[in-house]
Amino acid sequence: MRKESKGLMIALGLVAMMAAGCAKEEVVKQDEPVVPQQTVKQAEPAQPAQPAAQQQEQKQEATASDEAAANALETVYFDFDKSDLRQDARDALSKNAEVLLKKLADAKIQIAGNCDERGSDEYNLALGDRRAKSAAKYLETLGVKADRISTISYGKEKPAVQGHDESAWAKNRRDDFVIVK
Amino acid sequence: MSRITALLLCLSMLCLLPGPAHSASYIEVTAPGNRQLKLAVVPAQPAAGAAAHPELANEMAETEAFDLNMSGLFAAERHDAAPLPQGLGLSVIDYVPWLSAGYDYVIRGEYALRSDGLTAEFRLFDVLGKKQLLVKRYIGQAKDLRYFAHAFCDEVLGTLTGEKGAFTSRLIYVSSQTGHKEIYIMDWDGHNTQQITRNRSITISPDISPDGREIIFTSYKRGNPDLYKRALSSTVDVPISTRRGLNITGAWSPDGTKIALALSKDGNTELYTINRDGSAPTRLTVSHSANVSPAWSPDGSKIAFVSDRMGRPQIFVMDANGGNVHRLTTNGGSNFNPAWSPKGDKIAYTHQSGSFQIYLMNADGSGNTQLTTVGRNERPRWSPDGRLLAFSSERSGSDSIYVMRLDGSGQTKVSHTTGQNIHPVWTPRR
Repeated sequence: MRKESKGLMIALGLVAMMAAGCAKEEVVKQDEPVVPQQTVKQAEPAQPAQPAAQQQEQKQEATASDEAAANALETVYFDFDKSDLRQDARDALSKNAEVLLKKLADAKIQIAGNCDERGSDEYNLALGDRRAKSAAKYLETLGVKADRISTISYGKEKPAVQGHDESAWAKNRRDDFVIVK
Repeated sequence: MSRITALLLCLSMLCLLPGPAHSASYIEVTAPGNRQLKLAVVPAQPAAGAAAHPELANEMAETEAFDLNMSGLFAAERHDAAPLPQGLGLSVIDYVPWLSAGYDYVIRGEYALRSDGLTAEFRLFDVLGKKQLLVKRYIGQAKDLRYFAHAFCDEVLGTLTGEKGAFTSRLIYVSSQTGHKEIYIMDWDGHNTQQITRNRSITISPDISPDGREIIFTSYKRGNPDLYKRALSSTVDVPISTRRGLNITGAWSPDGTKIALALSKDGNTELYTINRDGSAPTRLTVSHSANVSPAWSPDGSKIAFVSDRMGRPQIFVMDANGGNVHRLTTNGGSNFNPAWSPKGDKIAYTHQSGSFQIYLMNADGSGNTQLTTVGRNERPRWSPDGRLLAFSSERSGSDSIYVMRLDGSGQTKVSHTTGQNIHPVWTPRR
């Protein structure tokens, strides 16, 4: 556990440095006089940083239309009896991380793991738990703080769509993202 | 599908061959070997001076015939006969007509419905031995009439085999009749259904304490899937395991002191035991996989469970302290829902390879036998006498609770509630 968090910190450090680097380039192009100050400020937070004013603006936007923001979190889909993240799942999760780090920087989320109707309902509860947790872990490695994320499994109790074929099953093997605060 | 239909046709033709032994109103498949004993249930007659209520007498007789048929020991049927002129009293019955009609046993009875309640007496006669084997008298209310019949059938099996029946058991199960999954209870044959929980949430996986007084179940009523306990005489759900993550598949130990369950608080879904108040969690499994559905051996020394540690979910067994883990199912596909027989010699489970079917194996994993073939069938549970298995099947549309004998014969739908009806568990005998 210790080791993991150390690794995470190094990763976050790298992200911060990269962010700082980007900012610097941009600043150079714009040739503004406040360059050194801003660079120092941006290097401090362990997240891709933004000017404070812009962040404030986005936060207000988010509270204004919470529903729109919730919809901005993409559902993640899984293969049958699997909880590892496919390429499309990682794409969706990195978009979700972006939203959670910028637009919804204060939001807490619950990740709900779900399964298709195949498999025993009891085993599927455990599979859904694993699916929710693998998405949570990936979001954490992308910089979303663990205390903002909770998980729950509904197994096959809450299918997104009815139906007994692969097209229905594929839509039901998923993680839903719900804003809880 | 057509192959299954053909098989069924063959089986039902086989059923027809023995003729009169199969006059029951539901389809059944005879076990090979033993001839079934032919038993007549004569509707009880009114006691001297009591008013006639043929509807009560007939319901008791039908209940007895249904129970004894399902035992597999008998071809039992209701058989109307003239009342004994002197009542049951000390009179001996005339065995000759029963003998010539080919019956081995006869049940006769007497009842009296008065303002203060219902009294019924039943007697079992051995036609070949020309003797009375059993007399039982029941005193209660009119609503107890089915219980009287079930209780007598428990005794009939006890008298004839040394092992009482379990027809006074009831089935706890989950139904989505209201639109939410809630816990229900009914007689083993589907009568007297009552809703127990009203959580308006997802409430699943009930189990009952060995003394029959309390149930445990998992409910999402407060958001998280937590484990609750509730006395059957009460309407209060007491949370006993509300640990972060899953608190699922609770199973009461045979001595009633502990509950085995699956928790995901430490990352993976692992098996633990807790005390009956939820305290003192002790971890049993250590793996990088999911472990659910613990099933105690009747002596409490072992626990069978489901784990996907080797790929698809399979049934494993371990000592009750978590040691000595080994795999039991090796027949391919996935295997779920282990249930240990009351004698400890067999484990019933669900096998999935394409469809879901109920199987039986020896407790060491040998001797797999397929019991169901039609539709999707899941989660077998043993009656307390080990003669019957309850399970859920969606063969007739949505899931219903079914009961069958250990050889797969006599598969009968018993639940009457609508929606999804799953997760049957037998209570101890009443």
